[in-house]
Amino acid sequence: MKLALAIASAIILIIHGIVFYDQFFHQWERHQTAYFDQARTQARNDAERAELAGRSPKIEQIIVTQFGENRVDRCSTCHLAIDDPRFKDHFEPLKTHPYSAALGDVQRNGHWERRHKFNDFGCTVCHDGQGRGLEAAYAHGEDEHWNDPLTGYITQAAWRKDFQPHLKGKEYMEANCAQCHTEENFAGTPHVNRGRQLFFQTNCYGCHKIDGLSEGTLAPELTEAGHKFKIDYLWESIVEPRANLATSFMPKFNLNDEDVKSLVIFLKSRRGVNYAETSLARYRAKLSPAKAEITPEAALGLAAKTPSARAADLASQGKQLFEDRACAACHKLGDKDGGIAPDLSFEGSLKDEEWLREHFRTPRSRVPDSIMPAFRFSDADFAALTAYLESGHPPQNLPSDGAEIFKTLCSRCHGEKGDGLGKTAFYLDPAPRDLTKVAFMNSKPEERFLRSIKDGVPGTSMPAWGKVLSEAQTQTVLRYVKTAFVKEPQRALKEHTNVPAANPNPSSRDSIAQGERLFLQRCAGCHGLKADGKGPNSIDIVPRPRNLRNRWFVNNLSDHRALASILYGVQGTAMPSWIDYGFTMKDAGDLLNYIRSLNPAPRPADKQLASLTSGTH
Amino acid sequence: MSNLPVQEPPAAPPSETGVPKPGLTTALLQFPRNLWDSIFRHPLPDSDLGAAQTSFSNFFLHIHPVKVHRNTLRPLYTLGLGVMSFVTFVVLTITGILLMFYYVPSTTQAYDRMLDLRGSVAFGTFLRNLHRWSAHAMVAIVFLHMCRVFLTGSYKRPREFNWLIGCVLLLLTLFASFTGYLLPWDQLAFWAITVGTSIAAYAPLIGKKIQFLLLGDQAVGQEALLRFYVLHVVVLPALITLLVAIHFWRIRKDGGLSRPAEADLPAGGQPLRVEIVSGPAAGKRTFGLMGFVRGPFTKTGNVPDNSVYAWPNLLVAELFVFVVTVAALLVVSLLFNAPLEEPVNVLHPPNPAKAPWYFLGLQELVSYSAFWGGVGVPGIEVALLMLVPYIDRKVSGVGKWFAKERFLANTLFITFALLNVIFIIIGTFFRGPNWAMVSPF
Repeated sequence: MKLALAIASAIILIIHGIVFYDQFFHQWERHQTAYFDQARTQARNDAERAELAGRSPKIEQIIVTQFGENRVDRCSTCHLAIDDPRFKDHFEPLKTHPYSAALGDVQRNGHWERRHKFNDFGCTVCHDGQGRGLEAAYAHGEDEHWNDPLTGYITQAAWRKDFQPHLKGKEYMEANCAQCHTEENFAGTPHVNRGRQLFFQTNCYGCHKIDGLSEGTLAPELTEAGHKFKIDYLWESIVEPRANLATSFMPKFNLNDEDVKSLVIFLKSRRGVNYAETSLARYRAKLSPAKAEITPEAALGLAAKTPSARAADLASQGKQLFEDRACAACHKLGDKDGGIAPDLSFEGSLKDEEWLREHFRTPRSRVPDSIMPAFRFSDADFAALTAYLESGHPPQNLPSDGAEIFKTLCSRCHGEKGDGLGKTAFYLDPAPRDLTKVAFMNSKPEERFLRSIKDGVPGTSMPAWGKVLSEAQTQTVLRYVKTAFVKEPQRALKEHTNVPAANPNPSSRDSIAQGERLFLQRCAGCHGLKADGKGPNSIDIVPRPRNLRNRWFVNNLSDHRALASILYGVQGTAMPSWIDYGFTMKDAGDLLNYIRSLNPAPRPADKQLASLTSGTH
Repeated sequence: MSNLPVQEPPAAPPSETGVPKPGLTTALLQFPRNLWDSIFRHPLPDSDLGAAQTSFSNFFLHIHPVKVHRNTLRPLYTLGLGVMSFVTFVVLTITGILLMFYYVPSTTQAYDRMLDLRGSVAFGTFLRNLHRWSAHAMVAIVFLHMCRVFLTGSYKRPREFNWLIGCVLLLLTLFASFTGYLLPWDQLAFWAITVGTSIAAYAPLIGKKIQFLLLGDQAVGQEALLRFYVLHVVVLPALITLLVAIHFWRIRKDGGLSRPAEADLPAGGQPLRVEIVSGPAAGKRTFGLMGFVRGPFTKTGNVPDNSVYAWPNLLVAELFVFVVTVAALLVVSLLFNAPLEEPVNVLHPPNPAKAPWYFLGLQELVSYSAFWGGVGVPGIEVALLMLVPYIDRKVSGVGKWFAKERFLANTLFITFALLNVIFIIIGTFFRGPNWAMVSPF
């Protein structure tokens, strides 16, 4: 035992030695010693040499008090020569910080004088990084737990390899310049300016809120995006919106790398604090958000438009607006196609004015699951846009060939192969029907498809094509769909003759209550407790369960179709035949009464209001 | 029993033998010697008896008995876990006090202080590493110590109450570690404590009150930081110190460490009780307090038994465990840095937000059932643990690892312990974003 103790004691002595060695010697001391040595050889007179002789390695720090929270920047502990012009050709860390006229530095009598003095600004105000760190890796922010690594110089190891090359470059520092230089067209921050412009041009502002800039509510607020997120996250969120949140419905804007970079730099400059503003100024801005200093018009460099009322040509104003507001960032019109939202080429013919105007004001009032943001335009702007959509686009001469019609009108949503995976499909809710699903396609009568094509499906993005297609063209396109996608010949339909045309079970409080009970027991798993089609099982189901709160859809649904769907299921979907689970006609009736009770028809007062507001232009 | 050879105290007052009136010079000359003698009343011992007396009269050593049973010294019996727990506690106290010089329990300063510790304080990183890893080690070692005590049946009569104190010490250790977890005020700390205190809130009736009492607010914030700090640096260490003292004291009063019954009966089958008999020395001699202590083991005299002198046998063993434990802690602290994540961001919880590892078993259970995982199961487990010496009254199988007589009790205990460990492993390694199962490989 004593021998073991002796050996253990010897070992612990050695370990102590290692601990002391490990903790006593610092890299920064070596840098400082190197600096003193080199400065001594460059010293020109004894006074300089004496001054150097009096210095020994010590931690240098700048305490910055003027920019937000106090900062302690110890960068100059290693970067000891930043203000010593003799070291301008040395290597880092012993290199002079470059002088630059662009930064406001001026040359007097052969000596440069800095505009941004280190004693006032420190280092991290412009460069980011961790001012308190004394080890290079920590100080430069290579540690993945540090949110702001040296901007434009350091990419953290955990960042995606394919993004890393994009995330380096001095231009990223503009995000920090913009903390003080908030002028809209400040020459020193071209990327921030471009990013701000893009924020409006690509309609980011419609969904995202940034205090003082925009009021969107659909998407996460970005007022402090630069404070919360690292640039790799910002880049990823713009380039692949679903990389971080699988359920995100943010469109994938097809921007080039330079534009993405500008947006990232702009967003990085949004830190919620602004050193140039006093807190009083910020408070005032908050009190009057409506009078935001930078309006979309201003950001785009447009003169504010006054609606010169009826005299002006509304349609051309609308065209101008359509272009200025970058509607084509999502929608298609003519040869511009954002690839996200429906084609508007025929919109004026397909929708009436009331629909257009109400949909403009609140898109979800007509398509309840629409992702289109509610833009806060003026009524006059909406009127102009409506006029533009209605006027400029009479139905073109549409082809008569089924394949051609499908390609022109249908394939953008339903996909070229009819599989419901057109390029806009992801953003549409409910999703476009998969026309290749034989079980569904062969279980519904011909009239139903014809009606869907002609009258559209209310509450969804399927428009009433009957307004631009002739009866013959409708027939042709349906025949094309059946032959090209369904392929199997139509089988004889099972007629559910026992399902009555109207709900035999009159709506009453008891019936609705019973329906609700049944719904919660049997339906909520897929259709959700709120009947919005987002139950826990809905994630794995294609096509997605119906949103039964979609007022336009449900109110347009015949009792017969609803009862048949409940009792006998919907072939080709996950909706089972509930009659096999013991449902009676009364149960189905109760359920239908419950579902109808969730979707009251618009009250006369609402209609009146709608007609009032639509009549004001 | 009577002819106890007692050494005369060697440090007799010099006034009786030396010069009647020592001058100032003599006093000065003798000062070092006198000072030394006044501190250490015995010279370095050269015999077992001298060693016994030295340790008996030394504040730090008198916690040892004069003699200990051979069984106590078997490394494979105790595995040194009790001493190890104590060593980690001592290391934690020392490093903790040093850290207190730099730490400020303020939400605006705490994180910066962490950066300073890491960057510019001499030995700062190392101190923090040592404190952090010792804390984790203490939790693990105290748990293992409990396993040892259970599996050797050492909680049985007369050690029931010491087992109870041990259980309380385990809980206090967990709580001390938990309160310390918040202090760096980084994302890891903030969300671990948010999760941990939310588990506490699942207790029926008083859960929310307990949470409020801990946090001093509805959410983790400045009040919580201050409370956790005070608990961590004052209340809990004081409680632990007190209970550790009682724990040690009871070990001696309960007759030393447990051992098999047959180990106590040496060849001669001597009676175990100390008897004070009259004899030639009766009346002339006064016995030390030691002589009057009754009990199953403490005894005086040369009774043949299986005991050896505590000095040097026990002392060397303890020192060995001390040195090895400290060495291991030092090496771990050299190799691995204590984590420091992003500064607290109240609006941006990490996914998943995890409690400290020793509560991850609970968090895993909570993911199945809030009440049962957060309160029911742990409550029952703790209650069963504490009550076990009062339920399991048979005294057979004490002092042996995995005694056959204790097959049922041991099996139950191992099952529970393993289940807890498995849940902790699942919670630590197999749970990813949204608490979904992920593979760590």
